[in-house]
Order: sequence, then C-alpha cells, then structure tokens
Amino acid sequence: MFSLETITNSIQQWLYSTFNPTMALILECAIVMLLVIGLFAVLGLVLVLMERKVAARMQIRLGPNRVGPRGMLQTAADTLKLMMKEGLTPDGADKFLFNLAPFIVMIAAMLIMAPIAFAKGFQIWDINIGVLYVSAVSSVSVIGILMAGWASNNKYSLLGAMRSGAQIVSYELSAGLSIISIVVLAGSLQVSDIIASQQTGWWLFRGHIPALIAFVIFIIAVTAETNRAPFDLAEAESELTAGFHTEYSGMRFALFFLAEYINIFIVCAIGATLFLGGWMPLHIGNWDDFNRIMDYIPSSLWFLGKTFCLIFLIMWFRWTFPRLRVDQLLSLEWKYLLPISMFNLLLITLIAIMGWHF
Amino acid sequence: MNASDILFYLISAFVLGTAVLAVTANKIFRSAIWLLFSLVGVAALYFWMQVEFVAAVQIIVYVGGVVVLIIFSIFLTQQSGSKMPKPPLKRTLFFILAVLLGFAFSYKIIAEYGFASAGPVKPFVVPVSAIGEQMLDTKQHGFVLPFEVVSMLLLAAMIGCIVIAMRSVPKGKTIQKHTATVGGFGTSNNLTDVPAASTTPDEVSIMEEKAT
Amino acid sequence: MFIKEYISDVFKAVSSLLKGMKTTGSYFVRPKEIITQQYPDNRAHMKLPERFRGEVVMIHDENNEHACTGCTACELACPNATIKIITKFDTTPEGKKKKALDTFVYHLELCTMCNLCVEACPTSAIKMAQTFEHSVYDRNRLLKKLNQPGSKLRAGVE
Repeated sequence: MFSLETITNSIQQWLYSTFNPTMALILECAIVMLLVIGLFAVLGLVLVLMERKVAARMQIRLGPNRVGPRGMLQTAADTLKLMMKEGLTPDGADKFLFNLAPFIVMIAAMLIMAPIAFAKGFQIWDINIGVLYVSAVSSVSVIGILMAGWASNNKYSLLGAMRSGAQIVSYELSAGLSIISIVVLAGSLQVSDIIASQQTGWWLFRGHIPALIAFVIFIIAVTAETNRAPFDLAEAESELTAGFHTEYSGMRFALFFLAEYINIFIVCAIGATLFLGGWMPLHIGNWDDFNRIMDYIPSSLWFLGKTFCLIFLIMWFRWTFPRLRVDQLLSLEWKYLLPISMFNLLLITLIAIMGWHF
Repeated sequence: MNASDILFYLISAFVLGTAVLAVTANKIFRSAIWLLFSLVGVAALYFWMQVEFVAAVQIIVYVGGVVVLIIFSIFLTQQSGSKMPKPPLKRTLFFILAVLLGFAFSYKIIAEYGFASAGPVKPFVVPVSAIGEQMLDTKQHGFVLPFEVVSMLLLAAMIGCIVIAMRSVPKGKTIQKHTATVGGFGTSNNLTDVPAASTTPDEVSIMEEKAT
Repeated sequence: MFIKEYISDVFKAVSSLLKGMKTTGSYFVRPKEIITQQYPDNRAHMKLPERFRGEVVMIHDENNEHACTGCTACELACPNATIKIITKFDTTPEGKKKKALDTFVYHLELCTMCNLCVEACPTSAIKMAQTFEHSVYDRNRLLKKLNQPGSKLRAGVE
C-alpha cells in the first residue's frame, strides 16, 4: 500500500549509502528545510484562499472568483503584488529590531513544525518531549510580536503588541493545561506515543466528557493564542489600525501574515494530534472489520482532513463572533477557562488513574 | 575536530557574544533582546547535550516567562526608547578591572585543573517519566522535599499576588453586585463597571444601580 | 448560589455562541442564498433591491403632468443644497396669480441619496429611481432639470 514511510526510508538509506554520515545528515537537513519552506508557501496560499472563501460563504457573498478558475490564483496574485512592493522602514524605528521581528515570528513557526507527525512515519523530529517542545517554542513567537510593536516606534503598534503579549501569556496557561490532560491520559509527551495510544479510539471520545471539555478549552485558547477573531484585540482594525504590524509593508508584512496562518495550521495540527489521533484512522474498539476498512484511507489524508476540519472550525469562529473587549478577554481566561481546565485536569487524572476511559 | 565540536563552539560563541552585547547595548530594549538570544543559546546548548527536557524548560521559563516580563516592564517605563548616557570614565575603568580579575580567576582555575576528557560516553537518555518519578520519590535521592517546598513557595507567591491585587473595600460599604447580563459572556462585564473604591458613590453609579 | 450561577453562566454563554455558529453555518451550507450581484456580467438581468436609491426623479404621467407644486419643501429638507426650485407665477382661469414650478434643478454630483427630499414632498411628486450608472466625463452633465419640458401641474394637486 502507498505510504510516505517507505519513501522517506528509501531516501534515507540512499543518502547514507552514498555519502558519509555527516554529509548525509546535512543533506537531510537541507531537504527537510526545503520541504518545510515549500509547505509554508503552499499552506499560506491555500489557507488564505480558504479563509476568504469561507468568510464569503458565511456572509452570503461569493468571495474571490476572478483570478484563475473559481478564484484559485487570487492568493498567488496577492503574493506577487506583496513581493513587488517596497518594504518601508519608518524613520524613527529601531531598524535592526524592526527588520528582525518578522523573521523571529517565522522561525518560531518553522521550529514548531518539527515534532508534528504528518503521516505514519513521516515526522521531522520525534523528540521525546514532543508537546512540551511545542508549547516551549510557541512562547518565542510572542517575543517577535513584542519586538515588532516596540521597534515600529508607533503607539498603535506598541499597544497592539502589549495586548497581544498579555493575551498570549494568559491563554498559554489553559492551552497548556488542556494539553497536559491528554498527556495524562496518554502517559507520554512524545508525539508518536500519543498517536499510538489512540489506536483503539481517539481521546476525544475515549476520555468521556472531561476530554470534550479539554478539547473545547484547547480550541478557545489556541484561537486566542494565534490572535484571531474573536480574540484579535492585538490587531483590532477599528482601534489600532493593524496593531503590531501597522508599520510593516511588502514582504515583511507578508511574513507576519503568513506566520499567522502557519500558526493556525500548527495549533490545529497539534489539536488533531492530541484529541483526534493525528494520522491514526478512525478506529472503534475491537471492530476489526471496520478498523481494517478505515486503514485503507492513507494516514496523511486522515491527518490533513482532521487538521483542516479544525481550521474550518476556527475560521467559523472568526466569521461568527464579535471581538471581545480587553476586560472580557482576561476575565474569560482567568475566571472561566483556567478554573474549569484545572478542575477538568483533576477529573481526567482521576479517569486515567482509575482506568475509566474506554 | 568533528561536527559536534564545531557546533559546540558555534553555540558557545553565540551565547557569549550576545551576552556581551546585552551588557554593552545602549538601548535598554535591545539589551533585553540580546539577553533573550543568549538564553536561547543556552537552550541550544542543552539541546546539543541531548537533555531536551531541560532545554524546553529553559525556553519556557526564561524566554516565555522572564524575558517577556522584562520586556513588559521596559514597555511600562518612561524613555525606554532613548539611548542611555555613556558611563563615566571611573566606572568604565572599574568595570574593565573587574572583568580582567574575573578572567584571571577563571583562567587560573581552568589552567590548574583542566577539563578531564570524559572519553566515549554512552548516550545520555533520560525519559521524562523518570524525571517525574525522581521528583516525587520519597526514598533516597528523591526530590520530594525540595519539590514540595518549592510548591509551597509558589503557592505563597500566588496568594500574595491575589492579596496585593485585591480591591480593598471600605468599611460599612457592601460590595455592589451587578447582575445585568449582556450577550454571551454576560457576567464577564462586571470588571468594567466596578466602581472606584470611593467612600461615597457618585450620582451616576446610584442611578445605574436604580436602573438595574 | 455561586456555583450554580457560575455553571448557568457558562451554559448560557456556550448556548448563545452555538446559536450564532448555527446561523453562519447554515449560510455556509446553503450557497443558493448568495446575494452577490456580479455587476458588469449580469447587467442585462440584474436584480436591485426594492429600496435601492440611485437618483431623484420626478414622476410624470402619460399627459406629461407632474405633481410638483413648487412648495420648496424638498429644497429645505436637503442637507447639502442639492435641489434648487425656481418658481414662476401662473394665472389661474379665475384671474388669480398662483405660484407654480418653473424648473426643478437637481445637482446629482452633490446628492448623497439620503431620501430626505422624497420624504419631505407633500404631494409625492419626486421619487428615488434605481439607475446608478452616473459616471460622465463632464461634471456639468450631472446638473439635471427634473421636470420635463412642457410639463405642467396635474389638475387637483394642491
């Protein structure tokens, strides 16, 4: 059966048989880098188009439909336009940090890609602290945002950056707690172990209602962490023009824009891995016939399907809910999500210890 | 010298270089950013040593926590964007003297003992579960006592934060309860209309109370 | 009780959010309801909403008669001086002099389509038309005379 695992293994064998180990490792790194950059470009194009189409459908509009067949090339055209634009640096800006900030955000997004399992045996780095690594590296991107806001020397940027910082730092807690609740159930931080533990069913279903609550909290928290509506206070257009990237133009703006969508993809991929079993097909207990049929669908399709379902969910949020006020945002986190997720974590620990899950 | 050594020296040079920049930069925000890079470099060193757990904790605590706090406090200070004045000559002299003494001291110790080569070591694999078990181990070499002490300390710090942040209510005045709910997160709007802790409520708030 | 209130708050919040998502979700799965007009393409059979306001016109019937008495209510109602009414004096059969409309001057380039003039008109002489392709090369062509040449006041309209 077709699988990406055989391809990667044969490439690795070929590399190690042709070159010496160091050279082969460097070549592998180069290939992975190219793949990640390619994936970023494709994801950027696809997700922006998807967002615009979804938004249009939800607002009873048509959306982009002129460039290319059914508007498919719209984002490619937009990217070309952005590439040809001049990248302005404001006069009073801290030039070095101003130019560095988009790259920090982008590099953080690239680093989080490492432990994500795209298909069976198709993973860049199966690090043994998997999800901890993800939550660690995702805290770096807030630095990029703060840096961009400060270096722009603009009050809107600074305010946007501070809001974004406060928001990300607070919502990291409940996102982390809901991740931990799955770690408790799976008994490992390693991504491959977490996926393997969902062989007989996804944690969302096996963990009863507490897992469902953890999933809802996770989705809310990551929506806030990626600064998307209804939590887009950091770039609230009506108040702060564009928040921390007000002063950015051209390709540097495109990097921020791309990083936003890449981050959505990453958090949805993490959510799919933790709660919906990553590339693991839909297995129900011991129904062997059913499970075998499900196994015929390639694992990469399962992963992408689940991830895009979650992305659609987050887009659905964006085009339905109005923006929260700052105080509502913080009281939602500190008075509702955090206590609930702490209590929920206790429940899940109880379930895990007593073995009440399916 | 193999690739691993080269990596080590590169990372070390990065850590040291950014650390020097952190103390010599003349803008305070840039200092914070250089400090951030230095700490990330230390995390990279941990990754190089293949102690991933410590590396991730280094990033979470120092990059995600400490540096963000530092940056926030820089944002809240005045004149965070202006250049700092050049230090007076006397201070520069003493600074150089202190650095030289420190160097001499470390060099003497290193030259005397040197680094013993550990030789071919077996790969250093510590599963996270082992760390967790060690943390809560009550037997010998267990860390349950420090763990609990640190937890108590953090709990005390959290309670202290809440006490500091709590609004003191003047005597003889009950806390107003606003029950008006608007929209989905109805109750989450009582943070805004919490009246200032004044002894006499102003007319507007009285009217508001009547309205509710 | 505090806990009960808390839980009911959460429940209410979630249910109201779900209600909103139901609305947008139902639009998403029903693409037939899309109301976008792909304008230059469907120019021939475009459907404009009933209350779309393009420009002010004066209603003339088949006898080339209108209902404007020249009362200047619309001119007074207009917020940015788009309308200028020039009146004349007609002599009625009884020999009395009576004020009547001479020219209804309408500056389309100043008009914001606010509909206040139509609302102000006591005799419903003017209305909003649905034409909207107003772009011309010369601004003077936007200055319009609304009453048709030779038209006169319909009998019985005061």
